[in-house]
This record gives sequence, structure tokens and C-alpha cells, in this order.
Amino acid sequence: MTALKYILRDMVRLVVHHWVLGLLTLITAGVMLWILGVTTLLSLNIENMLTKLESELAVQAYLVKDNTLDVEAVSKKIQSLEYVASMKAFSPADSLAKLQEKMGSQSRALEMLGDNPIPWNFEIHVNRAEDVAPLVNALKEMPEVEDVVYAGMVVRRISALSRIASRVAMIMFILSVVITSLVVYNTIHISLYSRREEIGIMYLVGATRAYIATPFVLEGTLLAFFGALIACGGIIAAYFPGIELIRENLPLLTNILLTDRGIIWRFCALLAGFGATLGWVCSYLVVSRFINSITRPE
Amino acid sequence: MNINFSGVSKIFEPDIAALVDINLNIEQGEFVYIIGQTGSGKSTLLRLITRELLPSRGVVAVGGVDMRKINTSDIPYYRRDVGLVAQDFRLIPSLTVYENIAFVMEAMSVPKKLVAERTRAVINQVGLWRRRTMRPSQLSGGEQQRVAIARALANSPSLFIADEPTGNLDFTTASEVMKILFAINAAGVTVVMSTHNQSIVNSSRRRVIELVGGRLVRDEKGGTYVS
Ligand SMILES: Nc1ncnc2c1ncn2[C@@H]1O[C@H](COP(=O)(O)OP(=O)(O)OP(=O)(O)O)[C@@H](O)[C@H]1O
Ligand SMILES: [Mg+2]
Repeated sequence: MTALKYILRDMVRLVVHHWVLGLLTLITAGVMLWILGVTTLLSLNIENMLTKLESELAVQAYLVKDNTLDVEAVSKKIQSLEYVASMKAFSPADSLAKLQEKMGSQSRALEMLGDNPIPWNFEIHVNRAEDVAPLVNALKEMPEVEDVVYAGMVVRRISALSRIASRVAMIMFILSVVITSLVVYNTIHISLYSRREEIGIMYLVGATRAYIATPFVLEGTLLAFFGALIACGGIIAAYFPGIELIRENLPLLTNILLTDRGIIWRFCALLAGFGATLGWVCSYLVVSRFINSITRPE
Repeated sequence: MNINFSGVSKIFEPDIAALVDINLNIEQGEFVYIIGQTGSGKSTLLRLITRELLPSRGVVAVGGVDMRKINTSDIPYYRRDVGLVAQDFRLIPSLTVYENIAFVMEAMSVPKKLVAERTRAVINQVGLWRRRTMRPSQLSGGEQQRVAIARALANSPSLFIADEPTGNLDFTTASEVMKILFAINAAGVTVVMSTHNQSIVNSSRRRVIELVGGRLVRDEKGGTYVS
């Protein structure tokens, strides 16, 4: 407890001593973490949108019209294919009924067909848009399947978009993490360097490395943490009005965006934790390296 | 804690032999003067004891612990038992006199109240209470030296290493400081100090170790400055 008080006091001394540098670090960390947060949220939204759309993507497989066909066995065979998330079977009668329902008043036309021309068919759902193409190929290779119907173009576009979005988010993520780390690392290094003589003396008169190091590590952790808080403030200030704007102008999009306030608050808490952890890791690395080099005897 | 050097040499890059094949043993409670001309290796010898330096050859052991093999995590605890007055004082420039001395106890998690008491006591002992809020750069050489002495006393160490602790002091102040050192020695503390001060050595007649060019040429109980 006593040690903690002394350590906190020493940390305050450090921060006050280098306050201009600290402020710059805070702002840089804030901006970078804000960018990180915004791109992550954006890609989360795109992901969310995709999963919503993907869950509606279905591949329709029509079997050959053959009364001797063992539908049960074919169903099992399809079920065992790699990309199948779920499937539903429709008998010829069901299918016709469905069709009649859809066509409403025009359903009389169907009666003119005489025999029900629709074969047994399956509605197959996949987990991800990318899975559609290989599934379709696998189905087409089955002799029992006559035709496969699916929204090919939409699927291809969606998976391309999803890939680009996650790649951009990844690049922004790495960039923000690298820049934030470098800035924190550098600031703490300067802080350490300006006190290298003192660090040597402290060690010489019996301070442990941990006692010497902790104020510096705390300094770095706090700078990154407060930077992250600034970023959170910026995100909240931008996100909710942004959602409002979309709600007014593009109401269709509203239900596929993340609009739940709880989620955004939790996201911000996560970002703050991430910032603090990043600051801790960077300053821990620089401090332990620096103190090692200074306290090594000749 | 006894101090033992066996076959110790210290060679600085590229090839400055600061100490050559030193063998000596100092028992707990002894008072030892290290004398010799400038550059003879006195500071090097003392800095081997505090483990600021490691020997190039041979073994330096304090309290039976080889300074080369001591656990890194044990070093601070060892140093808390060693009061050190360095030739260049090694005070922390950004801290006041008071804070410099309080620091060594704070680093040991001593409660604030005890720190305050002890700090006040040692500052008074070296007569610097009125300078307590000043920084080292605002003090004269002799005052800085006394701050370093007060700091070394603060932990009540069992080993006191002083590198020319009277080097910047006038006769009267030097005598005051020597009185303190004799007193702690009388209480059982080992004192090892280097000095150029002939009258101090001659008037007190303690063990004298003389270095010439890094070699130990004399180790005499109750010796004088010139043999
Ligand atoms: N860090 C170092 N790097 C290189 N050479 C050093 C180093 N420290 C000391 N020396 C050399 O080692 C020799 C002994 O130095 P030391 O400081 O021990 O002498 P000293 O007896 O304390 O002298 P003084 O009375 O002037 O304090 C000197 O020649 C010095 O130049
Ligand atoms: Mg010297």
C-alpha cells in the first residue's frame, strides 16, 4: 500500500514533467484509436449486413423426375455435403401448393398442366456467401440432381464486398495499432532517456527494478487508456447521429445496421480496454529493455 | 558481511588495467582506508564491492555471495544494506535534498511517517536541515557530499562504502563527518573509505590498504599514510 502511494506520486511527477509530450501522445493515440474504432465498427456493420443477407441466400436443388428415386437417400446425401447449414425438402405436391399460393388468382393456369411437373426439391441454406459456389458444384455432380437454381450474381458480389471490407478493416487495424504503439513507445522512451541517470542512481541505492519501472509503465498505460477514452467519445459523438441520419434518409438500411446502444457502449469499453492493454504492453517492453541496459554492470 | 577479493583484476576496454590480482579480506566491523595516487584504482575497487562493476578475473564475494553470481532480484536488497557515498555523489538532480534521502526508504516501502523522522535525523546529522528544499545543483560541492553521506546513513546499513567522502570538505566539516563514520563503525558497521587526506589517516591509525598502479602494495593494520 505504502509502495503504491510512492509509485503513484512518482508517476504523477513523470506525467507533469513531460506534459506537452504527454498531450501529443494522448491526441495521437486518441485519433489512431478512433480510426481503429470507426473502421472496426464499419466492418462489423458490413459483417452484420452480410450475415443477415446470407441467411436469406438459398440454393434450390431440383431432383430428376423419376418415381423410383429414393428421396430419403438423396436427402441424406445432400445433408452430408460440406457446406450445408440447413435444408428443407419439398414434395411435388407441397411445391405446387406453394406455387399456387404465390400466383393467387392466376393459379388456374397451373391446372392446365395436368400432371404436376414439379419434382422433389430441396431448399438448402449455407453459412457464408462463399460457400454457395462449391455447394452448387457439388450438387451439379450428383446424378440425382437435375437442376440447381441460385442467385449467382448476388452471391458473388456479396462475398467480394465482404472480403474487401474485412481487408480494409484489417489494414486500418494494423496501421492504427502500429502507430499508437510507436507513439507510446517513443514517448516512454524519451521519458526514460531524460531520466537515465536517475534510474541508475535509484538502482544503486536499492530500489528494485519493478519499483523504478512501474511509474513509467503506468504513464504509458494511462496515456493510451485516456487516448482510447477520447476515441470512444469521438465514436459515440459520431455514431449515434450517423445512425439517425441513415434512419431518416435510408430507412431500409436501418434494420441491418447495428443500432443497439448497448452494443456500441460495450464496443467502447472494449476499445478502452484494448487501448490500455496496448499502452501497457508497449511501455512494459520499452521500460524493461531500457532498465536492463542501464543497470547492467560494466 | 565480510568482503573478499581473490585474484581480482579489472581491465577496462581496450586495455586499461585498473586493478591487478588483488587479494584481500575485510571482516565485519573493520575500518579500512584505501589510499593511493589518482588513477591507482581506489574507486574501481569500491565499485566492485557495490557491484557497479564486475571483475574481469577473480572473484569478489560479499557475505559469501559471489557478486558475479548473485541473483538479479537480490541486488536491490543487497544494496539496501550498503551505504554508498560515491566520488561524484550520484544525487538525483530533479529531487530536493529531502527527497533524495527519503527516496531510499520509500523504495523499501517504509511508511511516510518513519521516512520523515529518519530523513530529518540524518539531514540534521550532517547539518543541512536548512538546505532540505534545495536541489543538488543549488548546493556547493561540500554540501552535496554531505547529502550523499546522509543518504548513505539513512538505511542504517551494515556496510558503509565511501569514495573520498571528505574530498570537498574543509578541515572542520571533514572532522565532523569522520566523527560520524567512527561512531557508526563503533556500532559495528564496516567502513571502507578511500582518501587522499593524510592527516585523517595518520591521526586515526586504522587499517590501510595502499594501491599503486592497480596493485595492492601495502595492507597494514594501524597504518599511516606513508609507510
Ligand atoms: N569506466 C571506465 N572506463 C575506462 N577506464 C576506466 C573506467 N573507470 C576507471 N578507469 C580507469 O581505471 C583507472 C583507475 O581509476 P579509478 O577511478 O579507480 O582511480 P582512483 O584511484 O579512484 O583515482 P582518483 O583518486 O582520481 O579518484 C584509471 O586509469 C581510469 O582511467
Ligand atoms: Mg576515485
